[in-house]
Amino acid sequence: MSANHQPISIDGIAYNQLKIEKKPITPEYVRRDPELVPKANRTVVVNPARTCMPFGAMFAGLGMHRGLPFVQGAQGCTTYVRYTFCRIFQEPASIANASFHEDAAVFGGRKNFIEGMRNLIVRYHPDVVTVVTTCSSEIIGDDMVSFIKAARKRLITELGEEDGSRPKLVLVNTPSFAGSHIVGYDRASRAFLETLAQDHSKPNNRINIIPGMVMPGDVREIKHLLREMGVDAYTLFDISDVFDTPLMPPQTLPYYPEGGTRITEVEDMGNSMATFALCQNEGGLGARYLEQKFEIPAFIGPMPMGVRSTDLFLKRVSEVTGKEISKSLKDERGRLLDFMADTLHHTMMKRVAIFGDPDIATGITRFACELGMEPVAVMSGTKTKTFTADIEGIVAESGAKPLILNGSDLFEFEESLKAMPVPVDVIIGNSKGADIAKELQVPLVRAGLFVYDRVGYHKRPVIGYRGGERLLADLVNAIMDFSYPEERTQQL
Amino acid sequence: MCNKKISLNGLTRVPFIDPQRAAHGILIDAAAPALPACDQRTVPGVMSQRSCAYYGARWFLAPMKQVIHLVHGPVSCAFYGETVRKKRYTVFSTDLTEKEVIFGGEAKLLQNLLEIGERFPDGAILVYVTCAPGFTGDDVDRACRNAEHAMGIRCLPVNCPGFLGHHQSTGHEIGAGVLLEHFVGRDEEAVSGPYDINILGEYDVMGDFKVIKRLLGRMGVNVVTAITADASVDNLARAHRVQLNVMHCRRTGGLMAEEMQRRYGIPHVKVSFFGVAQTSAALRQIGARLNLQEAAERVITEEESTMAADLERYRRELSGKRVGLFFGGSRIGSMQNCYRELGMEVLVAGSQFGGKEDYRDAWSTMRTGTALVDDTNEEEVLRFIRQYRPDVIAGGMREKFIANKFGVPFTVFPQESGPYAGYSGFRNFVRDILVALKAPVWQIVRGESETLA
Repeated sequence: MSANHQPISIDGIAYNQLKIEKKPITPEYVRRDPELVPKANRTVVVNPARTCMPFGAMFAGLGMHRGLPFVQGAQGCTTYVRYTFCRIFQEPASIANASFHEDAAVFGGRKNFIEGMRNLIVRYHPDVVTVVTTCSSEIIGDDMVSFIKAARKRLITELGEEDGSRPKLVLVNTPSFAGSHIVGYDRASRAFLETLAQDHSKPNNRINIIPGMVMPGDVREIKHLLREMGVDAYTLFDISDVFDTPLMPPQTLPYYPEGGTRITEVEDMGNSMATFALCQNEGGLGARYLEQKFEIPAFIGPMPMGVRSTDLFLKRVSEVTGKEISKSLKDERGRLLDFMADTLHHTMMKRVAIFGDPDIATGITRFACELGMEPVAVMSGTKTKTFTADIEGIVAESGAKPLILNGSDLFEFEESLKAMPVPVDVIIGNSKGADIAKELQVPLVRAGLFVYDRVGYHKRPVIGYRGGERLLADLVNAIMDFSYPEERTQQL
Repeated sequence: MCNKKISLNGLTRVPFIDPQRAAHGILIDAAAPALPACDQRTVPGVMSQRSCAYYGARWFLAPMKQVIHLVHGPVSCAFYGETVRKKRYTVFSTDLTEKEVIFGGEAKLLQNLLEIGERFPDGAILVYVTCAPGFTGDDVDRACRNAEHAMGIRCLPVNCPGFLGHHQSTGHEIGAGVLLEHFVGRDEEAVSGPYDINILGEYDVMGDFKVIKRLLGRMGVNVVTAITADASVDNLARAHRVQLNVMHCRRTGGLMAEEMQRRYGIPHVKVSFFGVAQTSAALRQIGARLNLQEAAERVITEEESTMAADLERYRRELSGKRVGLFFGGSRIGSMQNCYRELGMEVLVAGSQFGGKEDYRDAWSTMRTGTALVDDTNEEEVLRFIRQYRPDVIAGGMREKFIANKFGVPFTVFPQESGPYAGYSGFRNFVRDILVALKAPVWQIVRGESETLA
């Protein structure tokens, strides 16, 4: 261990290298032509805040036990997404690829798919393979349904009837030009239920949860809430033990995390009492499918963040299952309220700007209003039909009039904040906002999917009462870190 | 799980390689030179580490200054292309939607270019062509020509749809082609200094280039541009008036070096600034070419004298440790020398997209019995871990977390902590290996798996 104690000089990593080459807000700073700032006035997108549909489908596919996504596209479609998962979760993300080269572009991806599927299944023995299409395969018009049949035939000839037909193949059509990662997850939720859930004859006294693209900590928190109430539930795409797994070598090959939703669970989801899609735009499609097909009541949104939304979620669960909301949960609620009362002088009337995926942005806005903050700008990277109305409804009570950006980019968000006569006090959003916050010299409280420049955010919840406590603590501490008087230590 | 280390003697083929790809891995045998099969299509369905042509072009061109980077395709390619080597850049996207995929995106591209020209004027606009417009067949050249005509700002297509080629290196070449065609040597009146050089294939990962520039500056050498760490419209225009092209990465710099020699008669030299011995050799080589031998020797003596004691200590710490290397392209040869300088044993050298010359380079530095593998996939890395039980692995981030799950420390390339180039960078390099190796967490993990297993 001696080497650790001997100083090894570090040369060359000057902190100022991290600075971004952008114009600071100074008197000389020339404001951009205000006409071009709104996304509606231009066609070009600058610093997008949403990503591709396959991303959402891959996220869902990894949430299955022994599940692997297979991407029918070029190699970059997988590499970029794997990098992104690695950066967010610091966990391996195994995703296979059809490796499109020129020949596939000319002759179609049939050969790549059948060969690739065979190679994947022979090597990894997955339980379920999520077949994810991309821009490429959708434009060249790969007939995936027939490819899947042909691949199955090949598997059965090569591995025998039992082994060849065991792995389920679930097709999710995700052309990136038709929507964002939100839509990809949404479509995956429907595709999985459509392909796997068939039975509706044996009521199982359970409820289904479709969590949406939330963090492992959030899924654990939902499970905790339900456990406290004594409610049995299935979670579709349970990423809690996939994207946050223990280090326990020795491991066996092929490596799979222990977690993930099992196929039998998805099959049984047709027998449940109700489906709760926590995020309206991420999983709502799946919940609605079960409602139409099997008349299972669907409760879609709002994301149980903050006090009232969590209350609503628990109330609905209690009504559906007939189980009481337990004393322990009421205590948790009380503790959050106590915390809110203790910190109100830090949060009240603070001007906050919020951005992220539509559901988390709405959830945070709702919680921020409960904290007495004043949302001045709320942005969703993906455009949805209800986002503007949702936000307007939330802020109506407080009388705030935030700038609502439905499906905009970070350029508009940044420039709008800079143009505000009274500056914002704090920004809540993902890591993509780090540069903006640095330039505006306000704190950034990280929440949402793309948090990859800080550690541990995927382990902690923002959902539920305890998630609210955590987010509130982050918020107050961030505000205080920026407003601490330098010459003395402030006691609370 | 088999706990025995595999013996390197008596093997006839690389034990962890997929049978389907047997030709892509060889065991070095000094008596019988051979090279792994390379530059071939990736086996579909395996978890390859390779990426697409757009990725390569973005990797190559991202640091380019004084230009606007416009990604022509669905918004996501721009989203991912924002971050290159863990650094964030501003990118523009044409955000193709279903409508443009069906009716063509040329009009939207033209409008985008005009908007950028009017509102974000800069030296030039680079238009990256991704899969979607590649398939629909948008006439990007025409849109660029029209936009250029209308507003007088150069609009240059980078034709890099993801399905091109077999790996991201195709994109590097496309990017290099764009620089050669449209940027290098545009300033006819540029004058050349006696000690002016370019560095090709250097990307300033965590400040690598700044270290190199400082070292060369002490010798009196002036770096006109580093491609693309420091590349801008201005300095590329003068890049044809130099005495020497110094090639740091062959895979991405080789094409430019050869073309610049052909066009402008600039000689080039392949060096590596990683490791003490190699850095000294590089300075000597450059000094010899520019008649700066004395200055080079002075810098080398100064630096090496401060390093000697430390090197001794590093060797004591690290000698005999066994390492597996899985790099991107042509660094496999030069990086092995760094590990060997520390007395470490290189078990395998793998490259995602190395070319014949890269493998030949690597081959000549490797010992009999070690493995040289092309396009290693995730499964092979894991089998390698089980069979060889390495002390540490170096490679890309995607393999880091899975290697950790198997209890093997990992150092990430491109590095995350500081420059690795030059003498001072070598200390960082060693520090990162020590950090990974000596972390108490591995001892705890190992202890537990022994007692619990």
